[in-house]
Amino acid sequence: MLQVVLLFAWMLVIAFLAFIACTFEDIESDIGSQSNPNSQVQLAAQVGQVNRFFNKAISGEPLSNAMYCVVAGTVVWMLLVRLEPLVPGATWKAAVVAIPVGVGVAALIHMIFSTTAHCGRVSAQKRFEQPIYLDVLYGHLLPIATHGFMTTFCITSIAYIQSNIGTLSGNPQLNHPFALPLLGFIWGITVGSIGSSTGDVHYGTEREFQDRPFGEGKRVVYHGKITRYADCGIRTQKDIAGFCAKFGGPCTGMTFGLIILFENWRTLVGMLLGGFLPDLPVFTASGDAAAIGGIVMGLLIVAAFVVGNLVFVKWVRKKCGPFVGV
Amino acid sequence: MTVTPAVEEEEGEAEAPKKGLSFKFPYDETEMALIAGIPAAIITIFTGLPAVIKGVGLLLALLWGMDSVRKTSKYGLGTGVPSIGVLGTGYGVIGALMGLAVVEYGAMPALGIYPAVLVGALFMAVLGLVSGYFSNNEKYIAMKIPRLERAMMELGMAGTLAMLLQFSIVTGTLAFQSVVDMVMETGVIAFMFIFTAMAMFHPYNACLGPDERRERTRMVSIEISGLLCIILGFAMLVLGTSPWGAWDGLSLIVFGAIVWFVFFRKFIKACMDECWETVGTGLIKTLG
Repeated sequence: MLQVVLLFAWMLVIAFLAFIACTFEDIESDIGSQSNPNSQVQLAAQVGQVNRFFNKAISGEPLSNAMYCVVAGTVVWMLLVRLEPLVPGATWKAAVVAIPVGVGVAALIHMIFSTTAHCGRVSAQKRFEQPIYLDVLYGHLLPIATHGFMTTFCITSIAYIQSNIGTLSGNPQLNHPFALPLLGFIWGITVGSIGSSTGDVHYGTEREFQDRPFGEGKRVVYHGKITRYADCGIRTQKDIAGFCAKFGGPCTGMTFGLIILFENWRTLVGMLLGGFLPDLPVFTASGDAAAIGGIVMGLLIVAAFVVGNLVFVKWVRKKCGPFVGV
Repeated sequence: MTVTPAVEEEEGEAEAPKKGLSFKFPYDETEMALIAGIPAAIITIFTGLPAVIKGVGLLLALLWGMDSVRKTSKYGLGTGVPSIGVLGTGYGVIGALMGLAVVEYGAMPALGIYPAVLVGALFMAVLGLVSGYFSNNEKYIAMKIPRLERAMMELGMAGTLAMLLQFSIVTGTLAFQSVVDMVMETGVIAFMFIFTAMAMFHPYNACLGPDERRERTRMVSIEISGLLCIILGFAMLVLGTSPWGAWDGLSLIVFGAIVWFVFFRKFIKACMDECWETVGTGLIKTLG
């Protein structure tokens, strides 16, 4: 029974790490203007709004996050191969050294790619008279790297826990069949996609359109204005990080954390119902029972969310009035 | 989401269209494909070579892939740039597996010569050509991107050669079982996949804009290949697969570090020289 309790406990640790990872991922993408903001930053100079923004156009968020996590995962894997034989019986000691070092290497590579992206994009906008501000370049690299470090650290820890979850909870049979870099790749893609699709409050209704009725757009020509002036002085992305850390970042983190929590929870409950835990039987018909149990739990969760969202939106509309423009 | 600025046709191309092959520096795209593709294919066959030479082949293959991505994306693909790079790498993985499946035909394992892997590259060339034809043809998808067929074909070949070269660097051979054991089960293939994709699409994605210059963009690809070589060198050291001993991995690391440093420095210098202005700090224009 202790093993089942341990499995559920590790699942909660993974969900918590996922929450932190995606929170920092969203803020990191806001500092680098990699996500939604990117179009406004690029367009700004082209519509005559020279700006002091950092243009981190490495790629889409999913791919770039996959890259940091895979680099971290590969370095961690290499270090573990070398370090684990040195500490027999206490392999966690090797992990404690390997994970921060691997993630540090990933952060360095993150900074290299950010530099090439910013310099390349700005120099490709020569005809719009956009200069390279060196203080913008240097000043944003460390915030980007540190936020990226947090994301990559959490994701690599999740990958490490997953690939050793059986050993950690007492039954090595339950270890994830995928290697650590592959898990890092999958998790990186996931964290990037969710960070890209959720959050991003800065360029929506929150700031640019806040004097407008909800849902009403502005002409694209005016979008560049968001890069100009902050509450005091010229706006840079450090202002945006402070703004987005209040709501957008945690909101994104919650999305990812909840997805991980419910997904793992329903799988574990399904395995428990199907008789797969605490000991893995030889693969027989009980596998079907585990899968069916998990899927039914998943459907129940989805149904609960659909009903809950409907009730919540109805309540909000009633309380805050109808959306203008609908 | 990334929005593409409307990229104008290169002025140089409009002024003096080149006829045939001249091989004057800077090379045009066809010349670059020949210069990069043939040596990369030859280096792929001979797996007994030192890792540094394979690293040079990898650098050329990735440069060729980057040129194809640029050729495909120049006509206004914005968010499409990373997709094209990943598509090329996906082609590469499939082509490499295809090549590995037929690797034993005509192989000389004692000498480390595996000519049959190039079947994978040829297969991907055909597949790329067919998919390019279907996406461009008006009867089917009708994307109407100029020269898409050729670019897709080159992407498939460059991706396949790059993946095969990396397999050959890490395992020291191209025998199917050792590739599965050393590359796929250890998860190093994820690293190879993402870095190949990055070396292909990141340069053009990072330098996108009306004033993009091909020479400057290509420096980024070489610089990323240098980073790739450094980490592959460490992977070689950890797996201990090279017949040449630890020096093979170490020399690849040194080679990668030098390539990265030289071209990173060169690229940043080129950017700072060629942009509108490089200033330490300053206010935005309307404030004076």
